[in-house]
Amino acid sequence: MSEETVTVSDSADTEINAAIQKKIGWGFWLAISWVIFITLLAILAPYLNLKDPRGYFIDIDGNGRPPYSPSFEHWFGTDKDARDIFSRSLHGARISLIVGFSAISFGFIVGGSLGIIAGYFRGWLDKVISFTFIILLSFPSLVLAIMLTALLNRSLFTISMILGILSIAPVGRLARASTLQFSDREFVLAARQIGASDSRIILRELLPNVVIPMSALALLGMAVAIVAEGGLAFLGLSVSQGITWGSLIQIGSDSATTLENAPWIAFFPILLLFLTVLSLNFAGDRLRSHLDVKESSL
Amino acid sequence: MNDSESSSPTPLLEVSDLKTYFRTERGTVKAVDGVSFSLQRGQSLGIVGESGSGKTVLSRSIMGLLGRNNLIREGSIKFNGQELMGLSVKEMRSIWGQEMSMIFQDPMTSLNPVMKIGRQIAEPLMLHLGMNKSEARLTAEKLLTDVRIPEPQRRLNQYPHELSGGMRQRVMIAIALACGPTLLFADEPTTALDVTVQAEILHLINEQRVDRNMSLILVTHNIGVVAGNTDVIAVMYGGKIVEKAPTKTLFSSYKMPYTEALMRSIPKLRQASHTRLATIPGRPPDMVNPPLGCNFAPRCAYARPKCLVEEPELTVTENPEHVYACFYPVGSPEYHERKLELSQRVDSLSTGGQN
Amino acid sequence: MKFWMQRVAMAILLLLSVSALTFGAMNVLGDPLFNILGPLAGDVNNPKSAALIEEVKVKYDLDKPLPVRYVKWLGDFATGDMGVQFSTDGQPPVSGLIKERIPRTISLLVMAQLLAVMISIPWAAITAARAGKRSDKISTMNSFFLLAMPNFALAILLKYIFSLKLGWFPLTYKAIDPFFQQMRQMFLAAVTIALPAAAVYQRLLRTDLITTLQQDFILMARAKGLSRSRVIFRHAIRPSMFSFITVVGLNTGGLIGGSIVVETVFRIPGIGSSLVESVLREDFPVVLAIVMLIALAFVIINVLVDVLYSIIDPRVRR
Repeated sequence: MSEETVTVSDSADTEINAAIQKKIGWGFWLAISWVIFITLLAILAPYLNLKDPRGYFIDIDGNGRPPYSPSFEHWFGTDKDARDIFSRSLHGARISLIVGFSAISFGFIVGGSLGIIAGYFRGWLDKVISFTFIILLSFPSLVLAIMLTALLNRSLFTISMILGILSIAPVGRLARASTLQFSDREFVLAARQIGASDSRIILRELLPNVVIPMSALALLGMAVAIVAEGGLAFLGLSVSQGITWGSLIQIGSDSATTLENAPWIAFFPILLLFLTVLSLNFAGDRLRSHLDVKESSL
Repeated sequence: MNDSESSSPTPLLEVSDLKTYFRTERGTVKAVDGVSFSLQRGQSLGIVGESGSGKTVLSRSIMGLLGRNNLIREGSIKFNGQELMGLSVKEMRSIWGQEMSMIFQDPMTSLNPVMKIGRQIAEPLMLHLGMNKSEARLTAEKLLTDVRIPEPQRRLNQYPHELSGGMRQRVMIAIALACGPTLLFADEPTTALDVTVQAEILHLINEQRVDRNMSLILVTHNIGVVAGNTDVIAVMYGGKIVEKAPTKTLFSSYKMPYTEALMRSIPKLRQASHTRLATIPGRPPDMVNPPLGCNFAPRCAYARPKCLVEEPELTVTENPEHVYACFYPVGSPEYHERKLELSQRVDSLSTGGQN
Repeated sequence: MKFWMQRVAMAILLLLSVSALTFGAMNVLGDPLFNILGPLAGDVNNPKSAALIEEVKVKYDLDKPLPVRYVKWLGDFATGDMGVQFSTDGQPPVSGLIKERIPRTISLLVMAQLLAVMISIPWAAITAARAGKRSDKISTMNSFFLLAMPNFALAILLKYIFSLKLGWFPLTYKAIDPFFQQMRQMFLAAVTIALPAAAVYQRLLRTDLITTLQQDFILMARAKGLSRSRVIFRHAIRPSMFSFITVVGLNTGGLIGGSIVVETVFRIPGIGSSLVESVLREDFPVVLAIVMLIALAFVIINVLVDVLYSIIDPRVRR
């Protein structure tokens, strides 16, 4: 005697649902490894035996006039001022990654808190906060970032904050939606019943649960922040005097002749940027589908 | 209703040992597990079974409409002498709509909601018969008249949701008949309709069948539907045909206990009102791991140990048209024995009191 | 009716808030005096510059309180007066600059959106038809890669391959060239914006198509003997377009951001590149005007899409 009626699906090309996977996949770990790897390289950059990122390695007799193509001496080649690209790329990773990380952290802390508060307390507080989110989302993000960089100084801190502000709305909205969803669940009602205070409920019951679906967003958000910083740097609006991937790319592509004859100047930083963003996107995406499935099987 | 037979011309459709399995994560579902029958031109066959018996899969498998992914299909299907098994989709496409067509269960979802009726009917006409737009339109109008839809010109320009359920089903019939197929599949054609409309539709299908000398395969879970509309009935259970007989014969002398149960479940006029409808207890078998022995045995009131272990083969009765698969069929000594036991039990329950 | 009015009221409120914030930010965080006069602005002790400062203050109402200035500015803006460009000689009106540059950005965006739609529909149809098969998986992977590439990097790559190495497209944009030439010059820029957008559209349409293809009427269409492509294009696409249209509309705003970078890389003198230039030059009236226009466009488009949505889907109407 069977327990369930077997219904046979007649429809032709039903997609076999590959999302029902037990593991998160080796791709996820590969992506995470790259991120960790590049972060380590970035952190250790000053201590590794790299050439001075701001040094000029002109060697007319040996190599002729710069830019020098990639060689044993300069793994990624040099730009037309004979600065070593490999070293600059790794140093550039520092700012790009720091900004990415700080921005999303800021966004999470501020946006997350606002979202949870809005979702938990509702009422006029929710209306005000949600409206703020909407205002923030009324600009294409790059435009808002540009406007703010125009007005404020261009330190590492400020740029991180600006990009952080950009992520408040998306993070906040997700936090709010998650909170709304969980607020109706039994364990919150149970906590309320025994007289737990609001802050206790938020911290003990809601926060841990809301954080889980948001973790995927953290990875994706970091990727977005890195790209945004790259864009700003490319336009010349990022950290002043800073070496970041975006600025390196700009240097390599500013003039058509440079781009044509010495593409490596722009291409190597592009490669690093691309791999990092790809890894973060992939890991975030995998994490999200993995969590979604677990959530739905509850 | 003619009980035509064997020594005559080549059957229009000859199905031999058709198997249709689906590969799923749970295992391989044996939806159709060795079905054979043949059908003459102009003859109509009813396939009756519960949901899960494999009847819908059978009709779609014969037509070849199932998606190729994770599908195992074996056996032989000869249509007009041509072997269909193994033909590519492209080759099948010249048969679909033109030689073989199908009427689906739910006309609301089977018609394109955003396309006008006229266009949906004209499509196969233009595609298979090479008509141009105006010819197709005229023919479509005529078809609508054939299926008894009033004001056909107006209807051509309407959308499916503007018609009633019965009319939509008639449109479906019109579409299926458009290119003059020799074989029509009707997959639960009346299930989604009001009772009053059901009879009309069945009548219409039959009428068309006779007019066009078309063969019909009518698939349904409702044995009442096939009673007046088919020449032959095949009862399906667990992916196999468990009994097959000319309609009159089946109703008068069915052999399989499952068939008996089906017959019992039809409400009858002469029953007192509020008589409880007999249902068949239990659920259809798991087609991934079908039971050892007879598929129906776990639910059969007359089952004996042998039924659970050995699978009965199709046996012929005195009437070569009538076959069934059962060790202890209706009318056998074991059957009567069990029946006696059961009625005694019922008596003791109703008189005895509690428990 | 009530629904629409609600929506429009909301939009107006939004615009006011956005403009107030922008204006406030510009004037509080920035220093307009500095923009106009440069270092002189700080030189209060020198009587000559002090007089100049006073003159400027009166001329540009810098001595009045912020809210007053805001209202005045808002009024001016609504009538088309966007102030003057502080950093350009002669201080020509900002509106002139905008008028000159807007057509180019609009052409770029229209071209990009058209390309994106034209690419995504067949792409979605093909991958939906082959869902789960190898070509579909490869396509998904490619989309993923495409979306991971920042738009400025993509712009550079395209420029390198198609302008420099293959020479198919010219490098510079000349506003005086005939229409066709201009289109050719803008083509790569449009493609840079269009490709990631197409990937997004395709993904959505593919999902909707796959869902539609599971429907009964599709099986019926197949049973009529229609070919694969006929089934998809004649029967499946129309019912699946609903979300597609919404996304395309909503994404128009997103394309604007893309145009900023792309105009810079391909040296197209449009609104986007103007924004960047004026930020670098700290020419605030221009920045303010452009940001406001973009926000305005953004909000209006969103409202239009909402309205369109409610027209198409009767369930949404109140």
